[in-house]
Amino acid sequence: MKRSWASLEEFEKFLDHGGIVEPVDDMPREYRQAVFDFIEMHANSELMGGLTERDWIPKAPGLRHKMSVIAKTQDEIGHAHLLYMIAADLKIKTREEMMQDLFAGKSKFHNVFHYRAKTWGDQVAIAFLVDAAALVSQQAVFKNCSYGPYKRILRRIIAEEGFHLRFGEESVLRIAEGTEVQRSMFQESINDWWWPALQLFGPDSKPNDLLLRWYIKSERNEILRDRWIQKFVPLLQGYGFTIPDSGLRRNKEKDRWEIGPIDWEPLKQTMVMGGPDSARRISEASDSWKKTGWVREALEKVSA
Amino acid sequence: MRIYEVFLKADGKEEFRHAGSIEAPTDELALVLARENYARRAEGTRMWVVDRKNICVSEEGFIDANLNKSHRHNDGERVAKWRKSQRNKKSDD
Repeated sequence: MKRSWASLEEFEKFLDHGGIVEPVDDMPREYRQAVFDFIEMHANSELMGGLTERDWIPKAPGLRHKMSVIAKTQDEIGHAHLLYMIAADLKIKTREEMMQDLFAGKSKFHNVFHYRAKTWGDQVAIAFLVDAAALVSQQAVFKNCSYGPYKRILRRIIAEEGFHLRFGEESVLRIAEGTEVQRSMFQESINDWWWPALQLFGPDSKPNDLLLRWYIKSERNEILRDRWIQKFVPLLQGYGFTIPDSGLRRNKEKDRWEIGPIDWEPLKQTMVMGGPDSARRISEASDSWKKTGWVREALEKVSA
Repeated sequence: MRIYEVFLKADGKEEFRHAGSIEAPTDELALVLARENYARRAEGTRMWVVDRKNICVSEEGFIDANLNKSHRHNDGERVAKWRKSQRNKKSDD
């Protein structure tokens, strides 16, 4: 059952041949930690994303949107649930410890959930730009992921994020076809969310990135970011909106969009819980965890 | 809490497939939680959940013994060669 490797080199050779690691395997400590950190951050992000989504259930315009937002909320919380489960299986932290670390600001979640969604336009911009960015990076992980349980769960997550993306696209279309007030509201949302969404991919990957070496990620951050840019610049422009980047230009010879310099300072702030909405988000998440404690207690009682 | 493995059967001739696992305190709740986590969008028509402790797992290498039994994999080469030679004979005539 349990496989082990004599050295890190042996293990890396196994990965190079397309080997898939399972939780029962005696994987190298560094790999276990790296996979755990990656999945924990993904789980945290799904949870924080789900909670933002939940905030918009009462505020979504119309019953159809409300129902879609409810379904999305359930999806995101469901993703978090499955991800926390496989993260806990790695036996580095228990689920309870992961929750406590999240509420204490000790573990990370995606930069975009450190900002406040103020209007429905913001929520649509998130559904369109951020969900797409998340999908681009999840697809890249899924393609070549060496950790079996994560790869299997990503297949489900990606399928469901596909529905979210379509919902985002449809909502953008509705706004684009709407009144001047709606269009200018959405333009403001693009102005606010373009850069955070773009920064979700992180700075350029380092040449010796271990996540790449161990097939936890399969593509470099800058490549994923560029793929997203090439897709979303023409899409937004096609709907008649502008991109808040004065350095943006079309390179005709290469047939590509090139963007201006990226200011990484806001991303750094979010990584240390210093984003504009970090504190409120974390305390909301903590409150929600406390309020739902009775469910966990009830389950514990039945199992006892 | 117990860990359950979840299997879904898509439809018709499809076989049951492993969908993932779920923690639940009882069989009944395992079915409910498995539905809510793995079957929200008509992913299947039937579902099994199995308490992980009831699954018998083979030791590493237990089924490897059958990897090299080439006599179980007749490749049809000999007959194919013969047929080809027969065809060539005919076309020579």
